[in-house]
Order: sequence, then C-alpha cells, then structure tokens
Amino acid sequence: MARHDAVVIGAGPNSLAAAFYLARGGRRVLVLERRDRVGGVAVTEEFHPGFKVSSVLHACGPLRPEIAADMRLDRHGLVMLAAGTRIFAPSPDGRALVLDGDPSRSAESIARFSKKDAERWPVYQQTLERLAAPLGDLLKMTPPDIDRPGLGDLLALFRTGRQVRNLGRTDLYRLLRWGPMAVADLVAEWFDTELLRAALAGRGIFGAPAGPWSAGTAAVLLLRAAADPHAAGSVTFPRGGMGALAEAMAGAARAAGAAIRTGCEVTRIESRAGAVESVVLAGGERVETTCVVSGLDPKRTLLHLVGPLHLDPDFRKKLGNYRMRGVTAKVHLALSRLPAFTALKGIASSAGASSPLAGRIQIGHEIDSLERAYDASKYGETSQEPWLEALIPTVLDPSLAPEGKHVMSVHLQYAPYHLKEGEWDDARRRALGDTVVKTLAMHAPDLPGLVEGGQVISPKDLEVTYGLTEGHLFHGEEALDQVFTMRPLLGWARYRTPISGLYLCGAGTHPGGMVTGANGRNAAREVLSARR
Amino acid sequence: MATRYDAIVIGGGHNGLTSAAYMARAGKKVLVLERRHVLGGAAVTEEIFPGFKFSVLSYVVSLLRPEIIRDLDLPRHGLDILPLDGTFTPMPNGDYLWRMDDHARSIREIARHSKTDAEAYEEFGKAMQALCRFVKPIMGMLPPDPARPGLKDVLNLLFLGRRFRELPYDDRYNQVQLMTMSAADFLDQWFETPALKGTMSASGIIGTFQGVRSPGTAYVLLHHYMGEIDGAFRAWGFSRGGTGGISNAIAKAALSFGAEIRTEVPVARITVRDGKAKGVVLENGDEIHADIVSSSLDPRHTFLRFIEPGHLPDEFIEDVKRYKFRGSSGKVNLALDSLPDFKCLPGAGRHLRGAMSISPSVEYMERAYDEAKYGAFSSRPYVDIVIPSLTDPSLAPPGKHVMSCFVQYAPYKLKEGPQAWDQKREEFGDTVINTISEYAPNLKNIILHRQVVTPLDMERTYGLSEGNIFQGELSLEQLFFLRPVAGWARFRTPVRNLYMCGSATHPGGGIMGAPGRLAALEILKDFERGVA
Repeated sequence: MARHDAVVIGAGPNSLAAAFYLARGGRRVLVLERRDRVGGVAVTEEFHPGFKVSSVLHACGPLRPEIAADMRLDRHGLVMLAAGTRIFAPSPDGRALVLDGDPSRSAESIARFSKKDAERWPVYQQTLERLAAPLGDLLKMTPPDIDRPGLGDLLALFRTGRQVRNLGRTDLYRLLRWGPMAVADLVAEWFDTELLRAALAGRGIFGAPAGPWSAGTAAVLLLRAAADPHAAGSVTFPRGGMGALAEAMAGAARAAGAAIRTGCEVTRIESRAGAVESVVLAGGERVETTCVVSGLDPKRTLLHLVGPLHLDPDFRKKLGNYRMRGVTAKVHLALSRLPAFTALKGIASSAGASSPLAGRIQIGHEIDSLERAYDASKYGETSQEPWLEALIPTVLDPSLAPEGKHVMSVHLQYAPYHLKEGEWDDARRRALGDTVVKTLAMHAPDLPGLVEGGQVISPKDLEVTYGLTEGHLFHGEEALDQVFTMRPLLGWARYRTPISGLYLCGAGTHPGGMVTGANGRNAAREVLSARR
Repeated sequence: MATRYDAIVIGGGHNGLTSAAYMARAGKKVLVLERRHVLGGAAVTEEIFPGFKFSVLSYVVSLLRPEIIRDLDLPRHGLDILPLDGTFTPMPNGDYLWRMDDHARSIREIARHSKTDAEAYEEFGKAMQALCRFVKPIMGMLPPDPARPGLKDVLNLLFLGRRFRELPYDDRYNQVQLMTMSAADFLDQWFETPALKGTMSASGIIGTFQGVRSPGTAYVLLHHYMGEIDGAFRAWGFSRGGTGGISNAIAKAALSFGAEIRTEVPVARITVRDGKAKGVVLENGDEIHADIVSSSLDPRHTFLRFIEPGHLPDEFIEDVKRYKFRGSSGKVNLALDSLPDFKCLPGAGRHLRGAMSISPSVEYMERAYDEAKYGAFSSRPYVDIVIPSLTDPSLAPPGKHVMSCFVQYAPYKLKEGPQAWDQKREEFGDTVINTISEYAPNLKNIILHRQVVTPLDMERTYGLSEGNIFQGELSLEQLFFLRPVAGWARFRTPVRNLYMCGSATHPGGGIMGAPGRLAALEILKDFERGVA
C-alpha cells in the first residue's frame, strides 16, 4: 500500500479543512472515517421515512469565510441559506420576541416589552461588534508558545494587543470585565426584559455544563461573537443539511488531491521512539505514515488510540482531568405542517427567509428558568422544564421533508451524560422526547397532533454514534482554563502532542467548537510549517 | 472648631484605622471619624449579653499582613493571636473528619477515609504553597492601569509575566486552574472523600454569592494556605478579646502616632469644591476641613451618599451602581451554658477548639446555594462554627461559652425583598440551630442567649451595603485592577484629594489591612508630590 505523508483521522469539518490545506500544500493525504459517510457532527440523516435532519449541530458557527473561499465550496455544490429572523422567543404570557438581522426590526419587537431596551439594542449590537473585531483575529492564529514565543507569535499578539488598545478605555475595560463574568450579569447590565436577557444568554451556555449564573459564561458569548458578531448570532446552514457542507468540503479536499476512505475505523496510533509510525484499522490493516492529524477529541485520540506506555503518566493524568461533560440531547420531530405558535396569533406562519420561524426558536423565558434547568443536571438529573434551542430547517429548505411537511430539530439542555441513577435507555429517551413535545405544546398547542415521527439522540448516543466523548458537542468545555493557550492543555495548544508527528485538529483545540473550520486550518498550517 | 487636619479618614474599621496609623506615623495630622460608639467596623467585639463578648461579624484571622504587624508594632499595642486548632467536620453517617494543625495526624485521619486522598493531601499542600509564593507579591502590589500603563506598571507586569514563565510547568498549570475553575471541579481532581471536598470547597464561597460549582471559586482555596502568623504558613487564629482586639490594637498604634479618633460622629457628606475634596460635614452640621479625605466605606456609601450629585462623571456613577455586593451570609452568635456535644465525637475534646464545619459534601454545599439563587435562605445551610471562649476565657463568664456560627447562604435579596429579613430573622436562627443540632443534639438545651445577624442587619448596623462582608463580591471581574471600578483601582477617585481605603479596594476583604496600608502609602506619595 502506498505510503501517505499524512493520515487524517475522522472526516468532520475540521478534519476535512485540515486535509484540504495539507493536500494543497503538496502532501499526500489520506482521510480515514469510521462511519459510512463523511461529516462527523456535520451530517444529514433520515430519521423518519422521507424526513431528513442535521443529526448533531443544525447550523454553522459560521464557517470562516476565508476557508469557504479557499476551498471554493460553492463550486463543490454548497448552497448556504441564511435566515432573516435570528431568534424567535415565545413567552408563556403569549407574547414573543423576534430578533432579526435588521436592527430596526429587532428594536421594534423589543419596544413592545421595553422602550429603554429597544434603544439599548443597537448600542449593544455595535459594542459587541467592536469588541469582537480584535478577537476574530485570535481565532485564526495558533496560540503562542509561552516558553519560547517565536517572532511570529509576538507579532500576531502585538497586532491583536494594539487592536485591543485601540478599542479605547471604556471598551478595553468592558472586555476585561466581561471575560470572567456570568452571562446573566452581562445581559442584565444591558437590558431589563427577562425574555430578552434569556434569549441572549443562550449563547453563553449552549453545549456547556453551566447555567447563566455560572462565572465565565460571558467569555463563551464573546468567543461566539468573535466568530459571529451579530448580537443574536446568525443562522446559516447548507441546503440539504449540515451533511451537504461536509460533502462539499470532502469534494474540495479530493479535488486538492486527498483520498478519503469511509467505513475505516482507526483503533490504534502506533509510535516508536516517541514518533508516529502508523495507524491500525479495525480490520487489522496497518497504514504507515509519519504524520497523523486527528480530528477526534483529545481524550479519544491520546487516551484511547495511543497506548498508555507512549505517554508520560502525568500528561495522561492531566488530560484525564480535561473536562467534557456533555449536557445536550437532540430531539427530531417529523411534522405534518408548521406548528401554530400562540404568540404568532395562532396563524400558521408561512415558509421563507423572513418567516419568524426561519431562525432559532428559543424556549426559556427568563434567566432563572435557564438556571433551574441547569440545576437538575448538577445532580445527574434531566431538567423537567428544559431550555430548548430549536430550528425548523424546512422553512428555508423544503428538500428535507415531503412536500408541505416539516422537520423540527431541537437541542435540549440539560440532559447530563453522567446520570446519577440508571442509564440512557429507550425509556429515558422516550421520556425526553415527551418532555420536548410537552414543552413546545405550551407555546404551540397544535404541535402534538402534528408529530408523525421522531428521534431522540441522547448524550450517550452522541458518544456511541458520533464519537463525541461524554457527549460533549465541542470536544471539551470552553471554560476559562480550557481555551486559547490552554486548549486542550497548557503548553499543548499548538496542535502538537507529546508524540512527534501526531497532531490534533478537532474542536478540542483552539478556537473550540461550532463548525468554523478554523481548528483544521490552523492545525494544517502547523503541520506544514514543521520540518519534514 | 477651627482645627485643620491633613487627612480625615471616614470609618473606624480595621482598614480605616490602619490607613490612619500609617499616615500619622508619617507625621500627618489625622482624624478618624466613626459613626458607631465602638471601633472596628466589621472587626468588632461587643458585649451583646452581659458577660458574653461576641466577635459579632468577622471571627477568625489569618491574612493580617505581617508588615503591618511589624510597622505598627501591634503586639506592643495589645495584639495577641491565639491558635485555632484544626477543622472538624461531622458527617451524616455518624463519622467525622478532623484535620488538625499537626500535619502527620491530619494525614492519618484522612487516610482513615481514603488512602489516596491522604497521599494527595500532601501533594496538594505543597502545590498550594508554591502558588502562594507566586501570588503573595500581588497582594501587596499597587494594581496597574491596563488602559494607560505607566513605566512602573509595565515593569511590574513584565516581572509577573517572567515569574509566571519561570514557574515549573505543574505550578503554572495549577495556577491557571486555580484562577478560573470552580472549587468543586478543582478539588475533584485531587480528592474523593465527600466531607473533605465539601469542607475545603467551602472556603471558596465564603462571602460570595457563588456556589462551589461556580467557576472562579477555586482561587480562594489559596487564601487558606496564605495565612501567615508568626511566619508559619497556613495558620488561622483568634484574637484575644475577640476580633475587636485587632481593631483596638491598630487604634492604639494610630493614637500613639498622634492620630485623633472620634466615635459616634456620623458623617453626612464630603465637601467638594472645584473638583477637590475639602473636608466633611457631620450629621450634626459641623464642618471639618482637611487637605484630603479617605473613605474606608464601600463605594456606594462614599460616592452615592456622601458626594452631592454633579461632582462625579456619569460613567463613573454608572460603574459604581454596577458594582456588585449581593451579601450572602449571616451570623448566629450564641451564649452557651456549657459545651455542645457532638454525637460522632462526644465530650469536650480538642475538636471544639478549632473550627467545626457543617459541610458534609459538595452536593450539600451546592444545594444550599441553589435555594439562595432564587431568593430564599438555605434550609440546610453551610455553617462554620467556632467557640473562642475555650481559647480565650475572658469572653464569657466562668464555665460559660460563646459560640460563633457563620452561615451561608442568607441572601440579602430575599424574593420578598430585603426588608422581609426582619420577619424571617428568628426562622433563620431556628434553621441554623436545627442544622447544627442534627450533629450536636444538646445544643438546643444549652443556649442562654441568641443573636441573629441578618444581611439586612449588617447593612443597617455595620454599614455593609447589601450585607456583603467584603464590601463587594470577590469575583474575578471585581478584583485587582477592576476593584472597585476599572480605571480607579489605585485608591484615588475622580474627585481630587478624595481616596478610598476600605475592603472595596485591592486586594479586597478579610482582616488583612492591606487596602488601608496601600491607600495610605499612595496618599503619602501624593502629599510628597504636592498634589494632595
């Protein structure tokens, strides 16, 4: 079998970005994917006859524009859809907040709750944009080497540092103060309306075992804003679901010269004298290479695929302490038509980009209800009144369901991977599905009658089927001690590992999760810059 | 009175007195004005019931800066710190965990619960002490202003940066974790015994409105290794004569340097003319002039109550209003006929001479917090108990005792509003007594008198806004150069010749005296430069 310059493990968006850049850099690249399809967390699957859904994440982070341009994803069949409505947040009192890409439309909706908040909205939007700008550059860079910062590191940091200083005193202090804050405090400093506070706080807690009152969640909001500075976030996803993004990326990687094999599970990374030698597949096949780039999470890569004797016990212990407690489940509903939300005056809303149902639907009307949902998970229990972040992709993309029918994709928090009692069996999955339908029915009473079929993906399923250790969507918590130069571990944030030739390129590296592709691109740059 | 002073210090708490003593020592003519009839502020001893002297609020000492003890020659003025022997945690299963000052015995005791914990405890102590050596200089450092750093700030930051880089990898790793993680997560990496983790985590939440699972709470664990009495690391103690003994010793030192101290002299406002502080007006209408005024009160009192509107920039006022207090603790002080008898360790053993902690597990601690988040006091609170009369018999009549119970959580903002504390005071007291009685059933029968101090009482009687014992939360966004207001962390204020010197300034609360000392040094610098 032909020798490969680099083997990329996994075919998620970060792996595919890494494969593309490596191939473009002249390396002979082989991508090995365990499942029968590419995509990892960016995957479209049929969950009920005729109904397809993005099984894990249902929107992009968004993908870094420079990556989309480099890979010419449009030529590989990618069509991105963007919703005008960003967040639709119904309240139990029958009212709703609609946050739009257009600030004046958002302000109009907010004004029905508070004139003062409506006036603050554009100011908040502009402030977030200003603060996010210097952070955006950080996403593109390899975290600096603390012990021996290179000239490039210093220049990049200096550039960012200058940008940060150019923010001026007020914004600089904001940035410093917001970093360690609880997102609940952040939104309360700006707005009085609980519904608005809760809608915005969602960004700080999505995927995290943290509530809005947990310190450090404002930093997550800033991290998200760095990739996507709109105050309510953007809602973009490919036609055909997230799987279409992976297909296009795979097409680009192949066109650049990479080979991709699906149905090939890597079970071992072998090394000799501290350097990578080969990977071993499930069937026993050995693929020789001196460079392995793993898109899997750091624990899976270094604690499961690498033999324990090849790593320092202290390093293994520290990586063992890397926190990745999943708390998110997915529920998919096949609907015979669009549900009629009470807050939309009971009128079934039409499809199309300007529909209030085109964006994220967030159920969780006050900060305290989000916090209470989190409380249960601390003790290993599922929230009885969970926070929901739902999307009806068929409003913009009818191809995912039979004509006139719809798909609802729901992220539920909090459903802890680590349960105090019992396990994630069918009964518990069913109960979770029922909870979601019941919660949605409070706002759209006709919904239960529209459900033709459904699927529940528990945190355990996220681990077993999609390879996310402990069901954590982002390959590890984005806590203050697990970001930037500390992701996944202090001193190991430059995509390298203690094994020479073994690199990480997944969401467990800087700049974290959410399908931006940045991790893969950064990792490829490090591989290419290393001496062969 | 036509007397003119160089400096007026508002508030005769330990920081106000320390500040006054340092200024007087440098030859300044200083006047201290205390509203109450007794000195000490929150570091006060009062004979609430005849013959029984309570350290009404603050009850143990560890962080009092050694340089202050030296500079002010406090032992000569009556300071006498008596040892507090260990921490005793009764457990629900009828056992107990008793950590003593004798290290070897503590290790043996922990090994009784878990062999691995006993090993880890040793390692943990070493790791913490290494970090203390790194953090300590920061406590005595003037916070830099990151928005307009002076040469000295840059040098200081470079110095800190270099020291950080010079730390061994493990210390750096621990330092980062400690600064950002929750106490519970941090301790989970080291230990398994619930009572050990519960009790250790408690130090992370004292005086804050956070739970042991809130990120940022691990840092305070360090404080327990930072205490320094007679040069010995990690010693906690009582002051002879109660905590007020410390304030009295500092007051005596100040008097010996020529300072003047008046009690029962409430200040009504600070006079400001042409943007400069000129003195104070008392509630009785008298005006006292001084070159500078230094307030040891929190910023809410200083800027929103004592300064007439119009003298401060709007942005500064907004920042002061945003400064978070959120008192979360109460005190129950008891006069006892005899000693409590713990079911798990009967008799009047040495365990009663240390701290007794009702903190059986992390989950117990976190559930106590959950209730407080929604505006109720904990139905099963964390209680830290000491019986100082065992060590210092002068505090109670012969054979009788005083017992101090620090209780968390008692949120200032009850859901019925803070004023509801007046109706709930006794119910709160009963809850605390019942909680302790589960472990020491005889307690109810030996109580002669009971004083319940609610957060509302702390605000009304002791001037602590919202009952926060540290004059404002010690959360990351309110520390170092952000305390109390970003850009105003160097003891100066937007009003010339007006200074802050209380716990609301760097390095924060606890009986350290550091804010008072650092403020005095800055004021003296300004005198020298002729700007004050």
